[in-house]
Amino acid sequence: MTIPRRAVVKALGAAAVWPYLSEASAAAFAGIQAAQAPPKLTFLTQGQYATLDAFSEAIIPADDQSPGARAARVADYIDLLLSESDDQTQRTWTAGLALLEAESRRRFKLAFAQLSPAQVEQLLTDISRNEAEPRTPLEQFFKVTKDATIRGYYTSEIGIQQELEYKGNRVLAEFVGCTHPEHGYEPGK
Amino acid sequence: MQATTPDQVQQVNAEQHEESRKAAASIKPGAAQYDVIVVGSGAAGGMAAFQLATAGIKVLMLEAGRLLDPSREYRTMEWPYASPRRGRLPAEEYALGAAEYNMLDRPYGTAGRFEKYRKLLSYSGNTFTHNWLVDEKHNPTTGTKYAWVRARVLGGKTNLWGRVSLRMSDYDFKAASRDGFGDDWPIAYADLSPYYDRVDTLLGISGTQENLPQLPDSIFQRPLKLNCGEQLVKRAIAKMGRHLIPGRAGVTTDGVANKYRVKCAGRGRCGRGCDFNASMHSPTALIFPARDTGNLTVRPNSTVSEILIDPRTNKASGVRVIDSHTREAMDFTARVVILAASTLESTRLLLLSRSADGARGLANSSGALGRYFCEHVMGPGASATLPMLKNRPITNDDGRPQSAYVVRFRNIEDKHPDFIRGYGMQGGSGSAEYPSQAHNTPGFGVKFKRQVKAEHPAQINFTAFGEVLARRENQVELDPALNDAWGIPVLRFNYRFGDNEMKMARDMADTAEEMLRAAGGEDIRVRRDVLTEGWSIHELGTARMGSDPKTSVTNSFGQTHDVRNLFVVDGSVFVSASCQNPTWSILAICWRAMDYLKGELKSGNL
Repeated sequence: MTIPRRAVVKALGAAAVWPYLSEASAAAFAGIQAAQAPPKLTFLTQGQYATLDAFSEAIIPADDQSPGARAARVADYIDLLLSESDDQTQRTWTAGLALLEAESRRRFKLAFAQLSPAQVEQLLTDISRNEAEPRTPLEQFFKVTKDATIRGYYTSEIGIQQELEYKGNRVLAEFVGCTHPEHGYEPGK
Repeated sequence: MQATTPDQVQQVNAEQHEESRKAAASIKPGAAQYDVIVVGSGAAGGMAAFQLATAGIKVLMLEAGRLLDPSREYRTMEWPYASPRRGRLPAEEYALGAAEYNMLDRPYGTAGRFEKYRKLLSYSGNTFTHNWLVDEKHNPTTGTKYAWVRARVLGGKTNLWGRVSLRMSDYDFKAASRDGFGDDWPIAYADLSPYYDRVDTLLGISGTQENLPQLPDSIFQRPLKLNCGEQLVKRAIAKMGRHLIPGRAGVTTDGVANKYRVKCAGRGRCGRGCDFNASMHSPTALIFPARDTGNLTVRPNSTVSEILIDPRTNKASGVRVIDSHTREAMDFTARVVILAASTLESTRLLLLSRSADGARGLANSSGALGRYFCEHVMGPGASATLPMLKNRPITNDDGRPQSAYVVRFRNIEDKHPDFIRGYGMQGGSGSAEYPSQAHNTPGFGVKFKRQVKAEHPAQINFTAFGEVLARRENQVELDPALNDAWGIPVLRFNYRFGDNEMKMARDMADTAEEMLRAAGGEDIRVRRDVLTEGWSIHELGTARMGSDPKTSVTNSFGQTHDVRNLFVVDGSVFVSASCQNPTWSILAICWRAMDYLKGELKSGNL
């Protein structure tokens, strides 16, 4: 039994457009992150990178609590993953970025990376409207990018330590437990 | 030092392969006398070797995989960003998800475009455990699909197990008498209870006394504690007569008398292997202490292809080994042979071996070998947000080696109209390292980010594990044509979930939703899909025990009815699957079998 690639992709949904990293790419990425160096692109063009960087930052921006996707180098991460993904995954991303760019120029006569916060808000509000069941290619690309941004951001040091203030990976003298009577806790039981 | 970078991980892997080659080359047939050969080094193999070696019996343990260095390979504390791939596999080692596994032929089709699929997602599909697990391309199966997760490494699956440690009860051992399906076990809870006690004391188990007849208590060490979300569900479902209890973990929380193990400090990701060895891992909990007696020899790289039978005596004389590295075949001899190669692998060995009359299929005069294959059906469950817990302070909830367990409530006092037997649920609440609810949180921007953070401590999730009935027609046999990479015939599966499982699965999803709703959950996401057969990694049966040699393969001590010096001591001997996770029962059943074996050895009966 062999199955058409399209059928596999369909069964997997968003998971199929999730790219992977090789050893060499992984090492290169680690170096860039550690040095806070400018991006060393392995797949995307400078223009595509600028669009993706702005797009991911719009999805998870910096705020009072923590830096956002840009500081967490989410676009670099996606670029490196894409460099070793299969053709179909790569096409999904290059086509999606082109669509976003075209929509930005159609509406505002500006590149996506040049849009004002209000213009970004307006555009993303429209393309995220049906995110539970995306219909148009651009709506689908929003969901793909959002999932990848979530993965990249919340597995980064900024995402885990500064944003979520994660408390794991350290010694616990005693296991954490609920001590709130309003939740049903009864002392001594 | 734990290996962290991809290069270090590959270096440790290569070093352990090299160590294993040297160790295997130094252990040759005929060089030493062994009383007992133990095939396999997981929970059952470790327990068998420990019991015998500490009693002064000379044991040769044969492990198909390589040796393992717990101090470097258990990467318990590693952050996701320490590896830029964030724990995922390299590009050439793509992992399969459940949806793909259901669609592709084993091993994943033959077309070039499927070449990249190598590993099952979530078990070997990460950088932490994939060096321990077999590649289906080298170890294929045929027949119906079955996600057969096999660890070929010292300690087997105990290096990555989920640590849920539950006793079975007479609701399980005598289930057939209660509902008329299948057969009772030849033992009752009273027979096994003293051995559960000994396992508890030797290995350490964390939990709370609950006095529930369907889930007998262990001799517990310091318990884990329920966090706020779990406490809320506990209170809500208590009104329905259901019990949510702190998880029971095969982890020492107060310490045990074992120089290789330290008590739990509630830190990291236990499923990658615990670098404190607070979790029960067969190497440090059983094999290393057994080796220290001087009575245990461990030969890695030893794929056993056949049990050798002396036709004059109808006794096992030893086993044939194919060295996994050199491919050289060699025969090791001993007075007793014990199979602890894991459910299905032990059965496969019996199917491969010839009885005294030369026919293939050893210890199978009953015709029950390979049959009554059972496990746990899993997948259905639910997750939700508990609004009263939004914005609460972040706590360390990942550090607990188990979270919460919902005890079986179906067909205990009442009788469900749609199905027999029951299911338990595993899950919990709290601030996990990865906020997976973000993928279901709508929108973007600061509002999205703040919502993810606010709801992070308020997540709750439960997944059910249900008993799959041990049906005679669910079977494995040898494939007549296909061999594995060592030239050994592979297993052909004829195994499907039945009507009872599918009806139970519907109820699992319904009750998971009902319980989270009762606790005040919002945005409840119900999972109704049953995962692929095998996904629970709780395969059981196929060489079941029984009093009647006409309907079972072994007696209650794992001794085969047909060959008196041949024992099976892993999950293969289970008569039914129960819904309780099997490892603690495997350990107790094995200990009981070893006490019997020692007595028989002393009396000269073997």
